[in-house]
Amino acid sequence: MFETLKKLKYGARVLLSKGGGQPETITVAGRPTVIRHAGEGPAFVYLHSTLGEASSWLPFYQTWARQFRVLVPTHPGFGDSRGFEQIDTIEDMAFHYVELFDALGLDEIILGGVSLGGWIAAEFAVRWPERVKRLWIADAPGLWVNEQPLPDLFRIMQHPAQTREMLFHDPHSYMADLVFKAGGSEEERLLNTYQNLTVLARLVWERPYDPKLPERLHRIQCPTLLLWGEHDQLVPPAYGKAYQKYLPHAEWKLIANSGHLPMFECEAEFVEAVTRFCQA
Amino acid sequence: MQYFFFHLMGWPYLPEDFEARYDSAWIWLPNQLYDPVKGQDLYREYINTLAYADELGFDGICVNEHHQNAYGLMPSPNVIAGALTQRTRRCKIAVIGNALPLYNPPLRVAEEFAMLDVMSGGRLIAGMVIGGGPEYFSYQINPTNARERFREALDLILKAWTEPGPLLWNSRHYFFRNVNPWPRPLKHQNPPIWIPGVGSAETIEFVAQRRYCYMGIPYFHLDVFRRVFGQFREACARAGYTAKPEQMGWGIPVYVAETDRQAREEFEPHLWYFVRKHMKNINITPPGYTSPRSALAILKNRSFFLPAQQTWDDIEKGVFAIVGSPATVRQKLNTYRKELGVGVVLTGCQTGTLPHALARKSMELFAREVLPHVRDA
Repeated sequence: MFETLKKLKYGARVLLSKGGGQPETITVAGRPTVIRHAGEGPAFVYLHSTLGEASSWLPFYQTWARQFRVLVPTHPGFGDSRGFEQIDTIEDMAFHYVELFDALGLDEIILGGVSLGGWIAAEFAVRWPERVKRLWIADAPGLWVNEQPLPDLFRIMQHPAQTREMLFHDPHSYMADLVFKAGGSEEERLLNTYQNLTVLARLVWERPYDPKLPERLHRIQCPTLLLWGEHDQLVPPAYGKAYQKYLPHAEWKLIANSGHLPMFECEAEFVEAVTRFCQA
Repeated sequence: MQYFFFHLMGWPYLPEDFEARYDSAWIWLPNQLYDPVKGQDLYREYINTLAYADELGFDGICVNEHHQNAYGLMPSPNVIAGALTQRTRRCKIAVIGNALPLYNPPLRVAEEFAMLDVMSGGRLIAGMVIGGGPEYFSYQINPTNARERFREALDLILKAWTEPGPLLWNSRHYFFRNVNPWPRPLKHQNPPIWIPGVGSAETIEFVAQRRYCYMGIPYFHLDVFRRVFGQFREACARAGYTAKPEQMGWGIPVYVAETDRQAREEFEPHLWYFVRKHMKNINITPPGYTSPRSALAILKNRSFFLPAQQTWDDIEKGVFAIVGSPATVRQKLNTYRKELGVGVVLTGCQTGTLPHALARKSMELFAREVLPHVRDA
């Protein structure tokens, strides 16, 4: 009963946030790129994870849009953004975003992202630190911790139940359900997942981190927040701690009841932590 | 009409409880299950079997490449083919194939295939493959641009064989200042090119356009082969020529014994060993290995693939294998090869656990009582 209410409530919020963040397509260095945006204030760019959660305007974007000009681009290869054939490495992603921000006339931004998005944000910030006013990184790969090798997502994904357990602290929660069953028919979901993982594989198959990142992270001097789901099994908190080692000035925040996707599993706490950090 | 004998060199000693304990015979199967002492005898027997096919009058023998698995113990088929150049005198040696994106530099393939061609007196058939999905896990090679690298590597190898070196090569994935392989192949231009395929439209189109030979990998329902060869002929017609039968090969396990009943009794348990152990989760597809549409098609067509078959009736109805007396095998082979319009049949019977003596008996019966009657066009 309680779960049903929660579902209805989330559904209602999705409906209410509709109308915000209508998709627009901008061509960036020859790559048609979809971007959703709403709100006014300082530019706040959210970089999405491999889930591709930029394909609709979600309630947490709407919450941020009360105080910021929220921009949610879709990475090349995801959703309706094109130009994947020009992307080989995580560096290409960083360059894609400098081109996008140039095209949008964004000189200074608040930048952050979850998982893959967080990694791209870090790669952007080490290259163009002067353009990032504030940086937040959540549950992101990018580094390698010998003592705790990242699990092989490409092996685990062969088993949907295991994938769910890997991604969520509570794999049976209504949000886990929603995330796994969102996006149309079974067939559409399979196609989407395969496409999203193809982009990830292009970037990380041979080496699931950037060996140059540790020696470059010191270039980030802006206020930085590292936030991690305490129960993230896909990119465990040890990876956040590794970022902190190279970003000693960064704030560290653990989200107690979350796995890899705090924006879904502990939305309120996640949004509040990011908002408070970005307002300061 | 040509008949080849293919061999996977499977590992026959998987534990009884394999299905319960292990995900697959691929990629992650602990290699402590491999016993090198048993392996030594096995390689000897398997090479003997292939050499015997030459003696018996098969037109060719086939070896192929797989990595880190119990399904096929030829991570380098070129090593086995090298041994076979010295053990055979007459038959073609088809290496189907080398998985080009797994070789860096791919010039290695140009060199080794040229060696095999020269060592065998021009008997090599050069098979070029993208390689199965599991190989991309085993070698940590990026699957998302495998097709692109396959085509570049193939063109590089052909250029290395056909144009005087040293020459320069520059493409998206490969740059070589000194392409100059020694030795060069014996054939006038290059060995015949065979491309094995599992039915993807992209591969069919590519092979047709290049006028290579399309080898339909076994273990699919007859309907899949009907569609594949139909599509191939159409693709050739679109490319402006009529497909030749020798451009089309059909892979089909064949086992012959004295009577139908005896053939089934001798062969069936070994087929199920192969299906339930070696083929378990063989269709692991890494993301980007095919387009999302093709990946979905593979998923939907699972029921047409051998691992999904449950009963002997499924095997017979889908023609996943031809098993029977010489008369039955003659009749079925003639019916289906003519219907499919193929000029090459890749037969094989060694499933891993089939005793060597039975494999040899089946090959003898095939050579003596089937082969002379299934050659006419």
